[in-house]
Amino acid sequence: MRRLIKNKKINLSENIIKIGTVVVIIIVLELLSRVGLLSPYKMPSPTQILIAIREVISVGFPKGVTILLHLKATVLRIIQGYLLAAVIGIPAGLLIGRSYILDRISTPVITFARSVATISLLPLFIAWFGITEISRILLISYGCLWVILTNTIQGVKQIDINYINAGKVLGANKRQMFFKVLLPAALPRIFIGLRVAVGVAFMVIVAVEMIGTVVGLGALIQQSRFYYSIDITVAGMILIGIFGLFLSVILERIERFILPWAFSLEEVER
Amino acid sequence: MKENREDRFTNNLWLSWMGFIIILIVWQIVSATNLVDSSIFPGPISVLKSAIIDVPIRRLIQHIGFSLFRVVAGFIIGAVTGVIFGIISGWYKKIGNILQAPIELIRPIPPIAWIPIAIFWLGLGESSKIFIIFLGAFFPIYTNTLKGMFNINPELLQAGRILGLKGIRLLLKVAFPATFPDIATGIRVGWSYSFGLTVAAELIAADNGLGYMIMHARELGQITVIIYGVIIIGLLNLFTDFLIQQIIIKRKLRWYYITTNV
Repeated sequence: MRRLIKNKKINLSENIIKIGTVVVIIIVLELLSRVGLLSPYKMPSPTQILIAIREVISVGFPKGVTILLHLKATVLRIIQGYLLAAVIGIPAGLLIGRSYILDRISTPVITFARSVATISLLPLFIAWFGITEISRILLISYGCLWVILTNTIQGVKQIDINYINAGKVLGANKRQMFFKVLLPAALPRIFIGLRVAVGVAFMVIVAVEMIGTVVGLGALIQQSRFYYSIDITVAGMILIGIFGLFLSVILERIERFILPWAFSLEEVER
Repeated sequence: MKENREDRFTNNLWLSWMGFIIILIVWQIVSATNLVDSSIFPGPISVLKSAIIDVPIRRLIQHIGFSLFRVVAGFIIGAVTGVIFGIISGWYKKIGNILQAPIELIRPIPPIAWIPIAIFWLGLGESSKIFIIFLGAFFPIYTNTLKGMFNINPELLQAGRILGLKGIRLLLKVAFPATFPDIATGIRVGWSYSFGLTVAAELIAADNGLGYMIMHARELGQITVIIYGVIIIGLLNLFTDFLIQQIIIKRKLRWYYITTNV
């Protein structure tokens, strides 16, 4: 695996150009809308978008369902589905990673399961569990599980054999071996899986919420389409983007804090 | 010692199939014993039997054709623009910054969240779906290309310069090929995104394609068809990914994998 060199020398002039570009784009959009070249039914002007963002935050869309309620519903679903996947995926991954036979048996199954687009299971889960929270949560779990599982397996398989031998020589029993050697050594990879899984969970939930829900970030943009409120749609997209960015920044911070030595690792190729 | 053990098993291909066989047997037993209502949880045999009756092969091939057309169309547009934008962003610093700013700004929005606005812009037809799939391919391919451009070994560029290459020729003959491995990563990630997005778009708004097939089967209560469709979606993704891997990695990138020994 090639090591990435993070040589992002972000200097001042670069930032000025970037921010300048964005400002110019916003101004051009605003002008085009004002002049009437940009139909308000196709693209709302930046000021309209700002007004819509304020509306989504204060009044809510549909009326009464403010952004906080949407966000709460989405976050709650993500947390439940994600935790379920982690609780199953990490122990299973540790087990499979340690056993050659289990690894051989499970690899094709996992490869296939990863290839099944998570969203394609939505109709099946709806048929089994109805349009309920259970379907949504299980779908998130499914999406996250394989990412967490494969990274955990990889983490265990890549452990330096010397660590294990050292543990044996020093007389570690099975429990000590597991908690003091295997788990810490596999942790950096496990964390990569956990980080990537958050992104997966976010993508899955936005998609799932677009079908058969009224509360949630995905529902917000889908509902606004039914009401032909394109300004709300764009406002919702921006809020989704901000939330997604916020999630990845938080995770990066956590990872840098817990695992400062393993920060430059990349996700395992599937 | 460990290597011996692996040698013993590497030839045992059946071991790789064991997982599937165990799953199929358990699945069949569970549905045959009626532990779970078999109309809700049909066994593998009844899935195959009734799905073939409910979805004739010709109809299935049509659905697959529509889905594949969408993925390929959106993906190719996304891949070409992603590579071009990535190369330009990485090579020409000033233009790069101007291009990067808006792309970085909209990148955190998952492509799927573009579905409503894509419908506003392009209607319910093919173009809105292809647009979404394009987005799914564009972002990973763009970012990986850019990453590749940033990580080019400076010695390669120096060697190129010494040999008399300048400007656009240095870009096309040295820098661009040097980013191939990263582009390949982007292409694989982009393909799987595009594939998932195709299904999602077809679930939400379509009247053909594999996504539509399973959503429609849900309305009719044909669980066997849903399971059949899900398996076909998985197999198709697996097969196309394998094809891409064979084309890119085995042919175009042999030099890379030989020299770096990955």
